[in-house]
Amino acid sequence: MRATLAVAAVYGFFLIFAQFSFVELLRGAGLGVDAEKMLLGGMAVGGIAGGFLTAWRGVSPRVARIALGVAGLVAAVAPLVSNVFGFAGIALMTGVTLGVATVCLSALLPAWCGVAWVGLGTGLGYTMCNVPAVFLQSPSGQAWIAAGFAGVGVVAMPLKAEWSEQTGGEKVFPWWGVLAIFTALVWMDSAAFFIIQHSGDLKSETWGETLLWRNAAVHLVLACGAGVWLARGGARSLPGTAWLLLAIAALTVNDESTRGISGWFYPAGVSLYSAALVAWPGWYSGAVGMRVAAWRAAWLFAIAGWFGSANGIGMAESLERVPPVFVAGAGAVVGAVMILSNRGNWRIALAVAGVVLVGWMGGISKGRETSAVVSSAAERGRKVYVSEGCIHCHSRYVRPGSADEQIWGPAPKVEEVMKGEPVIIGNRRQGPDLSNVGARRSEAWLKAHFINPRGLVADSSMPNYAHLFEDCRGADLVRYLKESGVATTAELMAQAAVWLPEANAGTADGKSLYTNNCAACHGADGRGGGAMAGNFTRPPANLVTGPFLWTAPGADHALRIARVIKYGAIGTDMPGHEVMTDAQINALTAEILRLRGEPNFRTRE
Amino acid sequence: MSERPFMPDPSGLSTALRHALGWLVFGNLVGLYLSTLLLFPELQLGSWTYGRWVPVHLNSQLYGWTSLPLVAWLFSIYQVDSGKARAWASAAVWAWTAALALGAFQWLGAVTSGKIFLDWKGGALWAFIAAQGLLWCVLAASWREHSGGWTKLRRSATLAGLCGLALVPMSLVFAASPAVYPPVDRTTGGPTGSSLLGSSLLVVGLMLILPRVTALARPGRKSVWIWVFFGVSWLVFGVTEAMGGTHFEVHQIVSMLFLLPWVWWLPRDWAGFEWPDGSRFWRGAMFGWWGVLVVSGLLMYQAGVLDRLKFTQGLVAHSHLAMAGFTTSFCSLLLVLLTGKRIGSGFSVGVWHVATLAMIVTLATMGWREGGGPSWMLEQPVWRELGLWIRSLCGLLMFGVSVSWWMKWRML
Repeated sequence: MRATLAVAAVYGFFLIFAQFSFVELLRGAGLGVDAEKMLLGGMAVGGIAGGFLTAWRGVSPRVARIALGVAGLVAAVAPLVSNVFGFAGIALMTGVTLGVATVCLSALLPAWCGVAWVGLGTGLGYTMCNVPAVFLQSPSGQAWIAAGFAGVGVVAMPLKAEWSEQTGGEKVFPWWGVLAIFTALVWMDSAAFFIIQHSGDLKSETWGETLLWRNAAVHLVLACGAGVWLARGGARSLPGTAWLLLAIAALTVNDESTRGISGWFYPAGVSLYSAALVAWPGWYSGAVGMRVAAWRAAWLFAIAGWFGSANGIGMAESLERVPPVFVAGAGAVVGAVMILSNRGNWRIALAVAGVVLVGWMGGISKGRETSAVVSSAAERGRKVYVSEGCIHCHSRYVRPGSADEQIWGPAPKVEEVMKGEPVIIGNRRQGPDLSNVGARRSEAWLKAHFINPRGLVADSSMPNYAHLFEDCRGADLVRYLKESGVATTAELMAQAAVWLPEANAGTADGKSLYTNNCAACHGADGRGGGAMAGNFTRPPANLVTGPFLWTAPGADHALRIARVIKYGAIGTDMPGHEVMTDAQINALTAEILRLRGEPNFRTRE
Repeated sequence: MSERPFMPDPSGLSTALRHALGWLVFGNLVGLYLSTLLLFPELQLGSWTYGRWVPVHLNSQLYGWTSLPLVAWLFSIYQVDSGKARAWASAAVWAWTAALALGAFQWLGAVTSGKIFLDWKGGALWAFIAAQGLLWCVLAASWREHSGGWTKLRRSATLAGLCGLALVPMSLVFAASPAVYPPVDRTTGGPTGSSLLGSSLLVVGLMLILPRVTALARPGRKSVWIWVFFGVSWLVFGVTEAMGGTHFEVHQIVSMLFLLPWVWWLPRDWAGFEWPDGSRFWRGAMFGWWGVLVVSGLLMYQAGVLDRLKFTQGLVAHSHLAMAGFTTSFCSLLLVLLTGKRIGSGFSVGVWHVATLAMIVTLATMGWREGGGPSWMLEQPVWRELGLWIRSLCGLLMFGVSVSWWMKWRML
């Protein structure tokens, strides 16, 4: 556990001070971009020098604790510095002490704990930095928190270390391959991180302030998972998996509709390879002693850590989006090492490459059915209906002669349904049947519902489809649905005109029904000012003062209100509430009448 | 103590089983995510909506977890791992997985044929066919190498098998075409009884072949009547399928009744064979789920019952009974028969079956209530939420169990 805390402290210090706080302190001092680059370069040189110096002189817990202690002192005084010479000293000292501490730690860990604990330590380090109280702290505050992390590391670090005969010695990849893999991963991560960090829209949706706890949790879970995975013998497949997760993050962050996905995958990929990076020199580099492990760590952190990171940032400086070629390049390096390190795998590589090539030639990215080949908006909309998988929640089949007809309208002709390519009857109704939705809902309502389902239907499990309205797909889909069953409008109106609710159907809470089903458009007070009212050209009716076009006072106006609740005002934006029971409709009718200041009504006995 | 990285068994059979379990883990994870989305739609990942994830879940289970053990079985039948073709067997499995991964990528990208379990389209379809082509070549090469030493019956049967397998890619292209759709019961919009009989007979066929290929010995008396009845069942399927009709019509009900004897006959047939140690539990579980599947399917097809359960969670319950209950037991049994190893600890297996049963009972109950009137979902939000929570919890348990199985098998 002490070793785990040491890992967490060193990682936490590195992330919150060297990567964030120090950079912000430099910017706050107004030293300029060139000076900033030179000072960060100085930190890198110090880190490389410190690492090699440690490998040469030998590692020990005492050296590591001294280095971490000095690093903490340097971080503590950093907010007090204001000139370039002072910052140069801070940068150099931070680099040297971090170089010493990381190489010591990496070489000593196999003597202290199992590799699974490294994952936990890495996860704790990332998690601590993502806690809002730390992440959103001022640069000075972060520097002092980092100093605190270093202090914890000094206290927690075990005092003695000795490798047993069984420690280390495993070589998963050739050493050149290890350097190549981690350099590629750090390079891609650094480039993606820099681009996301400096593009406001990318940053807010990936690690914006509201997502910090989520990111903290993802880091912790995945880093712990990485430790367990390594302990269970997963060293060979972990780097490839980390690349895959980072690749998904890098490719999805560029598009607004998929940016939310990136926020999950990025911390996942980073956590995986970060845990492996610390563990590799001691456990999987083939080192058979602390001294060799220290040299391996010095080389790995110098090339992959300092050099790879600086290169990634340098190449991404002028970019606003993550280029797919960066992702492919890193993937090619990782893949090449994994294949070339085991000559038996060439057949697998060939087979997979062949299948992917066939898929690519067959049009892997084609098929979004909005091409000009499909002529009308409704036809394109049907393709969108199919491609978005609407059939998994909605049927398009009113069963003839069943209760379906009372709820969803007239049954279609089977022969017409079967002409569809593909047939889209569906097999499960998480939501309503959509055969006659064009007669039951307006285009404005459909669009508003796609963009904000829960805004119109309380507790709806309908997904949010706002992304479809970034291009023509949303409008096409709405048009298709509107044209679906619109021909049955007259039939539906006739059905509504004769419908009578059972008077003795039971009781229901009209007020809560109103709140859940009506207030979004008609407002909590019934005066038409609901949150969703602005989505409609014609404002929702004022249920208190009118005018009441559909339910004007008269002998049967209560019944007409009930019919409007059940079937909607067909041809307007007012939707029906088809699945409500008669008891619910009666209670809601009474509530509407109460808003209108009218007495209750009696329905069919 | 240091942890030693290991090299997994590179044989095609082991690779296929590892990949199958990997897809089970992935499919269960997606299923868990889907059930969570019903409770918390705000967890949606960008444009990767519920509707795009469903084919990923379904096809991971069908083409990953269910199909790859059958691929392993083929490797065993054709002795792929004891000849020159062994070198390419793992590559064929990886190609299969790559094609399925491409498919998942496409489905998440809103590219699908729109046909449930046959969502293959465009590049992913051709990639999958290429993977099947490679697999066929591996099997054919192995047959060529080994068949000279086999009995005449085995040589002929495996050659016929190869010919049949050669038709699979073409059948897939045909079946995945949006222009093709099976007959529909016009009163429900669902499959006819004869369609259900036909798809079930494919499973019956596999269960007839399995003991004859993998059991240790057959001391019992051979019976031709089971094969006669099997042939008659197919004949009934052909006739009633051509007639069409609804679940109110006698001939469609009769066609479903032809499944009932298999509940008794298949276990009796299997009892005539000698089986390796460790397979008893899974044989019992498989036939237990099989019996429930057939009887409940028959009951659900009855007039009044089907009309109530159609389009509800009740049918989702039956799907999980088929996949998580019966199919998982079948695949787990295959694992035992092909490798002699248990899929996981007794505890994990117990948790799987209890969670599966709890999920099925919950979904069936919800479906029955929902079928009485869709307003039940509105009237009883607490019960609806509770049902979905139980479903998610069961999904979580099943995911955990599948991870434990995969962790064990990837070390073998």
